[in-house]
Amino acid sequence: MIQCNKYRLYSGAKNFGINVFLLSVAVTCLFPLFWMLRCSFMSLDTIFVDKSLIPPPLVFTNYITAWTKGNFGVYLLNSVIYTASVVVGIVIISSLAAYAFSRLEFPGRNFFFYMFVLALMIPLPGSFVPLVVMMNKIGLANTRIGYILCMINVGLSMSILILKTFFDKMPSDLEDAARIDGCGRLLIWWHVALPLARPAIAVIVIFNSLNVWNEFILAQLLLNDEALMPLQKGVMLFTNTNSVDYPVIMAGLVISVTPIILVYLAMQKHIIKGLTSGTVIGESC
Amino acid sequence: MKKIAHVVCVVIVGVAIFCNITGCVRTPPEKNVVTVWHWMTDRDQAFKELAARYEEQTGIKIKINLYAPSDAFSRKVVASAQAKVLPDIYGILGKKKIFASFIEGGFVVDLTAEFQKDNKQWEKSLFPKALAANRFVEGNVYNTPPGIYGVPIDVTNIQMLYNKKLLAKAGIKHPPKTFAELLAANKALARVGVSGLVSGFGEAWMAECFASNYAFNIMGQEKVFATYRGEVPYTDPDWLKVFTVFKTLTEEGVFARGIVTKGNKYAEQDFALERAAFSFNGSWCVNVYHKMNPNLEYGAMLPPAISTEYPMRIWGYAGSSFVVNNHSVRKDTAIAFLKWLTAAEQQAYLARETKNLPANRRALASVPDVLSDFAEVMDQTTHPSIWPLDESSLVLEKFDKGLQSIIIGEKTPEQIAQEVQEVKEREMAKQKRK
Repeated sequence: MIQCNKYRLYSGAKNFGINVFLLSVAVTCLFPLFWMLRCSFMSLDTIFVDKSLIPPPLVFTNYITAWTKGNFGVYLLNSVIYTASVVVGIVIISSLAAYAFSRLEFPGRNFFFYMFVLALMIPLPGSFVPLVVMMNKIGLANTRIGYILCMINVGLSMSILILKTFFDKMPSDLEDAARIDGCGRLLIWWHVALPLARPAIAVIVIFNSLNVWNEFILAQLLLNDEALMPLQKGVMLFTNTNSVDYPVIMAGLVISVTPIILVYLAMQKHIIKGLTSGTVIGESC
Repeated sequence: MKKIAHVVCVVIVGVAIFCNITGCVRTPPEKNVVTVWHWMTDRDQAFKELAARYEEQTGIKIKINLYAPSDAFSRKVVASAQAKVLPDIYGILGKKKIFASFIEGGFVVDLTAEFQKDNKQWEKSLFPKALAANRFVEGNVYNTPPGIYGVPIDVTNIQMLYNKKLLAKAGIKHPPKTFAELLAANKALARVGVSGLVSGFGEAWMAECFASNYAFNIMGQEKVFATYRGEVPYTDPDWLKVFTVFKTLTEEGVFARGIVTKGNKYAEQDFALERAAFSFNGSWCVNVYHKMNPNLEYGAMLPPAISTEYPMRIWGYAGSSFVVNNHSVRKDTAIAFLKWLTAAEQQAYLARETKNLPANRRALASVPDVLSDFAEVMDQTTHPSIWPLDESSLVLEKFDKGLQSIIIGEKTPEQIAQEVQEVKEREMAKQKRK
């Protein structure tokens, strides 16, 4: 009886400790988002002095200013176009490439794969100038398609690496079964490999969505027309060389993070599965 | 397989529609359009308004493109120079050495002839100090052919600011003019619980600027330059006096708490929110303070002098400048626009809207009072970028860190003077070996 109580006490204390730890991690992650939201409803003269959690007069005009002066309508549409195009491009190209690297035998297979892996070592800023020069030479600078191609290129290496690792673990029996049913390589990729790799694709989608959504420097280098700029440009508009319009910036940030948070929430289940799935894929399918 | 072909067809049609709707194809460059690239977010609307006026007057369209923040703008300019796709008018940020490298690369038009046309009418209309930042003199250290290569849009200088309300609260009738008066004012302020001087000394260059002001005041320009040439040691009694200024201001409690780690943006908040009576800041602060606290009552003053032998020289220079692309086919049109932009009427508009000091001295009549305070002493300004010689960056680093060490009480002025001199001697020896 005493032992049973001891066990209960130990288990309760352990659970309490874990919950407190998780709660503190959650608060640490969510508090900056809450603070951003809070500041977006304040004015520039109260933001530095008012320490209350919920400011008494909520200022909604920051959102109107951000949307109109920051030209957020156009930039938001651009960011949606860029993110969707780049993510679709990356998923199609990287899954085809990863499947080929994993399943097909061809000369230089390892060489090309390691070239992709090596590309991961090159920091993005290091490739800025060559990219700008190349895009100008082929006439794709200051075009949407030029920026989309560059961003697809940026996300490919990591995505190929993730998917190849996933396809390597795919049992060959599944492929054999599909082959018996009359599938060629492309159909096996489409009907077998891709559905099995759904959790890995979810990880790729969210990582690349975040990357493209938050990208600003390459866009600013490649694009000249304001009508082509992504959302982050709007946020930067309120950062002056010598001053920062914090409440409007916070309102802009709330607008800019909302879609990406929604994407994350929509794909949350797949992402967790992708990060924690078993060693052999196809087991749960 | 049919399904895949179907998907591929849908993707191709989708991309085609997407390209047509959203303009994926590059449009050819427009004729009679001058493109300007800049980084000044606070001036973007004013530039666009002026561009619209210019188009109305001349029929020439000025396309203003903003790329911020400034480091991203610099990257774009460098990348575009390498790709040879710079616009007609753009800005070059950073040290004069970078400016010189753009000139050497053939990316900048020499505007000297334009400035000297009609009995130097254009040149005379602008503050000489503003032009100096864009001028390369004969025998300059960069070996750049002498000439004027840029057009200043505004000017800036760095002074002390005082809060009128807080000074009145402490019973101080006039802002201090001498160092002794500053110390006395600080005591009066302390009695009513008001902090003294706040500044962004966390950004080492601001402390260096403050020290430079006092160096010019204590020993004069010639001796400062002689030190840079290695003819006068940093252990000289006059330099010790400069270092001691920081010790005295710390010991007397003039420096607000945390000054040594404060970035200028935070220091600006402190002054704008009336947490300190004095601030050491640039003329750009007028715009910043206006946004943070439109009711702030303040004025500008020179740092209170220690010596009467030499004048107090503050840092001042061209705030922002534009250059014309040497490869542009619309060079003349671009230059004509810049002449129009720096004319008194447009400069007055810019100063009113953006609260920056105009580069055109004739535009001063219509600027706010505080800006006039700043402008009045424009002739007393100097700046490292126009000095005939550069101090070694390692010496300056030691100097700046030394000032911070004095403020936090880690080292004495004598120790810092000795340490800076040691670095100076090492650098001189290196120079000789070369």
